Amino acid sequence: MTDLVGAGARGAAMDRFSLASLLRARETGVFIALAVLCIFLSLATDSFLTSLNLLNIGRQVSLLGIMAVGMTFVLISGEVDLSVGSTYALSGLATGMLIVAGWALLPALALGLFTGAAIGFVNGVLSTYGRLPSLIATLGMLSIVRGVALILTGGQPVTVNLRNGADAGVLQAFSFMGQGYLFGIVPMQLVFFAVIAAIAWVVLSYTSFGFRTFAVGGSAKAARVSGISVNWVKIWAFVVMGLLAAFAGILSLAFLPSGQAGRTGLGLELDVIAATIVGGASLAGGEGTILGTILGVLIIGVMRNGLVLMGVSPFVQELMIGLVIIIAVGIDKWSMRRSG
Amino acid sequence: MKARHVILMAAVVGLWPLAANAKSRLADFALAERIKAKVEAGQPLDIYVSYHDVSNEFAPFMKAGVERASADDTVNAQFIGPVGADADGQISEIETLMGRMDGLAISSVSTDALAPLIDRVLDAGIPVVTFNTDNPDSKRLAFAGQDLIQSGREAGKLMAKVLGGQGKVMITTIDAAAQWSIDRESGAREALEAEDGIEVVQTLNTGTDPQEIYSAIENAMLANPDIDGILSLECCSTPAAGTWVERNSAADRVKVVGFDLLDQTVGLVESGNVQAAIDQAPERQGFEAVNLIVDFLNGETIANLDTGVGIYTKENIAEVTDN
Repeated sequence: MTDLVGAGARGAAMDRFSLASLLRARETGVFIALAVLCIFLSLATDSFLTSLNLLNIGRQVSLLGIMAVGMTFVLISGEVDLSVGSTYALSGLATGMLIVAGWALLPALALGLFTGAAIGFVNGVLSTYGRLPSLIATLGMLSIVRGVALILTGGQPVTVNLRNGADAGVLQAFSFMGQGYLFGIVPMQLVFFAVIAAIAWVVLSYTSFGFRTFAVGGSAKAARVSGISVNWVKIWAFVVMGLLAAFAGILSLAFLPSGQAGRTGLGLELDVIAATIVGGASLAGGEGTILGTILGVLIIGVMRNGLVLMGVSPFVQELMIGLVIIIAVGIDKWSMRRSG
Repeated sequence: MKARHVILMAAVVGLWPLAANAKSRLADFALAERIKAKVEAGQPLDIYVSYHDVSNEFAPFMKAGVERASADDTVNAQFIGPVGADADGQISEIETLMGRMDGLAISSVSTDALAPLIDRVLDAGIPVVTFNTDNPDSKRLAFAGQDLIQSGREAGKLMAKVLGGQGKVMITTIDAAAQWSIDRESGAREALEAEDGIEVVQTLNTGTDPQEIYSAIENAMLANPDIDGILSLECCSTPAAGTWVERNSAADRVKVVGFDLLDQTVGLVESGNVQAAIDQAPERQGFEAVNLIVDFLNGETIANLDTGVGIYTKENIAEVTDN
C-alpha cells in the first residue's frame, strides 16, 4: 500500500518535469505572469533591466525565498505555519547575542538553528498529537516566540559589532554569510537560497519523505491506511520550516548587523504564505512545487522592486501588491478549472 | 562653551513655543475623592505610564526614566502599553486599570483613537499628561517631550546645511501614515522647501523589518541615482540609509541626516556615513512624564515641558561613545 501511494506521488512529481506536460504545468501560468510583469517594468523604467537591479532583486527575495521553501513543505503536508516571522526574529537575535557574548561562529549558528528546529518541532507536535489546528497552534507560537525574543533582549536592539564584544574573526565570517559575494558577483544570500531550493527540490521530487509529504497532504486518511506515519511526516515538515526560518533570520542579522525583537520579521509570515500560494501551493494541502514557490517569491519581489523604481506612492504599493496576489492566484485557479 | 551646548540651546530656543503653552493647576481640576484622600494621607501614588509600543527600541529607555522617577517610596509608577502599536490594546489596558490609577501619562498609538479615552479618564477625576507623542485633540493637562514638527524642522535645516543648500532629497520613514511621522515630515518639508536649491524627490515608506527597510532604500537609490541626501524621520531607517552609503562608498555624494542614537547609528556617525543624528532623550521623557503628575498632585502648576533635542555629528559623537 505504501508503495502504491509513494508511486502515485512519485509519478505526479516526475510528470511535472516531462516536456509534454510543460505547457499545462501549473508553474506555466505563474511564469507567464512573472514574464509579463518583467516586460512591463522593463518598458516602464530604465533602472529595472540592469544587472545591478536584477542581482538586488535576487538578494532581496532570498530570505523570503528560503522561508517560502520551508512553507512549501508545510502547505503540501496540509498544514500552515504562522509563527515563522517570530522564529526568524528569535533565532537571528539569539545567534547575534551569542556572537556578541564571544561565542565562536559554529556553536552560535548551531544554537540558532536548533532554536528554529525546536520551535518547528513544538508546532508539529501541537498540530498532530496535540490535535490543535495548525492555524491555532502556530498563531499561539507566533506570540509565545515573539514574547521570548522580547524577554531575552529586553526590547533592546541586538547589534553585532566589535564594540559590543564580537570577536573580529567571527564577525568577519558571520558578515560574509550575509554581506559577501561569491566570485565577487553573486550575493551569498542568493547562493544560499539557490542551494536550499535545489536540495528541497530533490527532497520533494526524489525522496521517500517528499513523496510521503504529498501523500499526507493529498489525503491523510489514505496515507494512514498505507502505513505512513502521518503525524511524523507533518512534524518533520514543521521542523524543516523552523530550521529554514531560523537560517533566514541568522542571514538577516548577518546582512544588517542589527535587529530588534519588536520589529524584526514582524508580519513576515503573511509575505511567506502569500509567495508560496502565488507559486501554486494550496492551503488544502497536497499541492505545491519548489519551482512554483521560487516564481511566487519572484513575483512578490519584482513587484515590490518595480513599484519603488516607478516611484509609486507607498500607499498605492500596498494596494497593488494585494491585487497582484489575488489576480495571480485567481488566474491559477481559473486555469486549473478549465484544464480539470 | 562646547559646540553641542550651543546647538542644544539653539534647539531649545527653537522649541520655545512648546514651553509657552497653557498651564494646569490642581485648584482648577475636579480630582477624584479617592485620589485626594491618598494625597492627603501621604500614601504612595499609583501612576501608570502608557507607552504606545513597549516592544520598540525606546521602550527600555522610557522605562528606565519611569523607574528613576519612582525610586522613592512616595510614587509607585508602572510602565505599561501594548506590544506593537495597537490602539485597541492600549485603550483596553487603560480602561482595565482606570479604577486604580492616581495619574496617567500616555504616549498615544493614535491621537484620534485615544483622545476620547484621555478625556474620559480626566472626567473621572484622574490627572492625565502626555509624553513622547502629544495628543493635542484631548484635554490633557500638559505634554513632556519633543515637538515633533519642530524636530522635523531641525532635521530639515541640518540636511539643508550639509548639502550647502543645493540638491535632491529623499525622505524615509518606517510608517508614513503614523502621526509622529506625518508631524516630522511636515516640519522637515517646511525647512527643506524654504531652500530654493533643494528638491524633495519623494517620501519612501520602508516598512518596519530591517531587511525591508534596507531593500526599499536600495531600490529607491537605484531608481533615483541623482539623490544627494537621505533624511530619515526615525530611528530605524537612519542606520539602513547609513549602511547603504557605507556599502556603496557614497559618503562623498550622498548625505544622511536622521534620528536617534542606536548603536549602529552611532558607529555610522563616527565613520562619517551619517552626517547628523537627532536624539530625543527618551529616558528623560519617561522621567518627566511621572514628575509632571506628581508635581500636579502636590499642588504645583504644570505646563508643557520640552525635553530638548541633542544634535550629534562626527565632531561630538564621542560624548555618546565615551558614556
